[in-house]
Amino acid sequence: MSDPGIQMALLALTLPLGAAVLSTLLACTRFARFAHLPAILGFAASAATAGILLGSLVGMESNEHVISLKSDPVTWFAAGNLNVNFTITVDPLSAIMLATVTFVATWIAVFSAGYMHRDPGYGRYFAIMGLFVFAMCLLVLANNFLVLLAGWEGVGLCSYLLVGYYYAKPSSAAAARKAFLVTRIGDVGMIFGIFLLWHIGGYHTDIDKLFEHIAKHPPAQSMLTTACLLLFCGAVGKSAQLPLYVWLPDAMEGPTPVSALIHAATMVTAGVYLLARCAPIFVTSETTQIIVCLTGGFTALVAAFTAVAQTDLKRVLAYSTVSQLGFMFMSLGTGGEAVAPSLAVTAAIFHLFTHAFFKALLFLGSGSVMHAMGNVIDMRRFGGLRKLMPVTHLTFLAGSAALAGVPLLSGFWSKDQIIDNLFETTQHANAPAVYWFAFGIALVTAGLTAFYTFRAYFLTFWGPERLPPEAGDHAHESPWVMLVPLIVLAIGAVAIGLVVEPLTHGFSEFLARTPGLTQANEHTKHAAIEHPHFNWAIAGVSSVIALSGIGIAALLYRKGGPEVVPASLRGVHELSRNKLYVDEIYGAAIVQPSELLAAASRQFDALLDGVARLVSFLPRLLGAVLRALQTGQVQFYALGMTFGLAAFLIVLLVRSTR
Amino acid sequence: MISLEHYLAVGAALFGIGLVGFLTRRNLITTFLCAEMMLQGVVLNFLAFGYFHGHIGGQVFALVIVTVAACEAGLALALFLTMYRRGHSLDTGEWQSLREEGIPATTDTEPLPRPKPEPDYPQLTPAGARPSPTAEESARV
Repeated sequence: MSDPGIQMALLALTLPLGAAVLSTLLACTRFARFAHLPAILGFAASAATAGILLGSLVGMESNEHVISLKSDPVTWFAAGNLNVNFTITVDPLSAIMLATVTFVATWIAVFSAGYMHRDPGYGRYFAIMGLFVFAMCLLVLANNFLVLLAGWEGVGLCSYLLVGYYYAKPSSAAAARKAFLVTRIGDVGMIFGIFLLWHIGGYHTDIDKLFEHIAKHPPAQSMLTTACLLLFCGAVGKSAQLPLYVWLPDAMEGPTPVSALIHAATMVTAGVYLLARCAPIFVTSETTQIIVCLTGGFTALVAAFTAVAQTDLKRVLAYSTVSQLGFMFMSLGTGGEAVAPSLAVTAAIFHLFTHAFFKALLFLGSGSVMHAMGNVIDMRRFGGLRKLMPVTHLTFLAGSAALAGVPLLSGFWSKDQIIDNLFETTQHANAPAVYWFAFGIALVTAGLTAFYTFRAYFLTFWGPERLPPEAGDHAHESPWVMLVPLIVLAIGAVAIGLVVEPLTHGFSEFLARTPGLTQANEHTKHAAIEHPHFNWAIAGVSSVIALSGIGIAALLYRKGGPEVVPASLRGVHELSRNKLYVDEIYGAAIVQPSELLAAASRQFDALLDGVARLVSFLPRLLGAVLRALQTGQVQFYALGMTFGLAAFLIVLLVRSTR
Repeated sequence: MISLEHYLAVGAALFGIGLVGFLTRRNLITTFLCAEMMLQGVVLNFLAFGYFHGHIGGQVFALVIVTVAACEAGLALALFLTMYRRGHSLDTGEWQSLREEGIPATTDTEPLPRPKPEPDYPQLTPAGARPSPTAEESARV
């Protein structure tokens, strides 16, 4: 524990937990309205610590190529072969994640202080948020699969609590349940994956030791592929990929800042982080990489298509999140013989990093709109808000442009790296057809992204001003406590991509010093593309696609007002509006059979109950017969005793004389 | 020569008479006396066995039983007294309230005669006159 870096990481980890405890205590007193103070201060201190830590890592002169600090192992529990240590690791990957999570969480907490003002559950809200940030930090710092799992389940729990924050609302409670159950399906796979890795990895649970063991004693390829796919199951659930993405759009039932923090910026990226952390074993299995890439691709396309016709502003953003996560998985799937794994992971983490800024910004912007519109979020019911809410409008525009991939904004650089990786893979990989397909999907999705983002933007902010009656006569720009986070995140969304990567490749070079990625690179020694570069042709194509998407959206929706759908496209529009009927299909294929099974079980249970009642009926019958003997007459009882005694004596006599 | 069997026969007779009395008599006090009689039959057995075995235990037991019987008598008679105050009767048939719910009360074909109501004892007429304060007394107060 002597290392100052580790101490700082532990400080950044425990500060949010302390904030959660303090907020809980405040929530129980009459000072519940100050519950945001511990959260904001705790997150800010944690973010500052994480920032200093990140800075010290960047400036660290190391003889070796890798940067890695590890805490001394402390046994958490041990039984037989299983020895679980509480260890944390600080390397570029975890430091970047830690800094992103705490920084975004700080500003979202500030925004929440305004957004949740006078909410009856104010204290509860900030307490859960503190717990969430703690769990997320634990997840990213963990150097042990079970510690990681603890953080993983912790964020799942907090997500459940926050989606169901308005627990009296049936739709909210149902959404919380759905989120928890659907991610649970993936988590089961992940737990099995950890078991399998533990088995083939020399009974280590520490991530670094496990991967070293696997590298030295490679197990059967099929075992490794199975383990990777099982881990990927967990990532699919948590990061809302096909076929388990259905929970994320419903999770928008929670308060909007929660959507920004958990369901856009941080928690849903845990799956991406997991795959990045496990890159050393994922790159060894080409099958897995192709599956990861295709899953990401299909998810990106399906989600982008669904987002095109949604009427709920937050749902558009939710589907966009699913789609962008699909992009990250596509990039993760490219690591291998063609593109060095470190580059594949870099592109994914870079996109994760920029996405955290602009998606949090967009969600907070929609929260600001919702705040002004009296909790109405249906884009058909308002429009033309750019005069009414100038700051929200401009920041939302910045976020939309970044998401759409307008050149020079942060989303452009990160998305471009992903598309570039996909393109390079088609040139050098063993299965080019698959990657050509993914490349095509990525381009189409990029165009759709630009289109639906700006459709939402124009419908909300352009055209004649329309306000829903719920907004009353007090529709106004949000207070400064909500606008400052918007502005800060907007600056990030616009500039952060340009600052950290394209000029210097600083981000990718720093990230490549993560030990896991170096290890992954060693596995694929002769990757065709080993160094970050910038492909002007790809950048040009993707810029044209993004701008034309925006242009089409501008043509169609600049005037705001109700959507006009051409008759030829009405079928497609309906399909998109109804989310490809995925919920209905799942309902018919899974939920209804389960309900039938439950009904059958209920009948069977009733049958069992009948048997049990029959059994319990016999003593009652006997009781009813014998009850008549209790007459209350003392002499009757005495007579009974006498007869009993007589019977006893007779038996005794007969036995003794025989 | 009085043998052990003689003693036992007397004890059994005492017990048997007590038992029959306990089962048939309806006055609570008589019932109680019968129970005491059964007890004495048992005590006699103890004494006889103790005597013929040359063992002191029988007599010790007898003393204990007599002591317990005395305590029991005190308790039982106190209970009978309160019961009589409540119901003005010592008929065991009158006290059936601890029977199972829904079971009809047993009625006697020959009920005991109801006790006569207490005779109306004459009361003394108040005598003398109410003292009235004199003028000096009130002045003294």
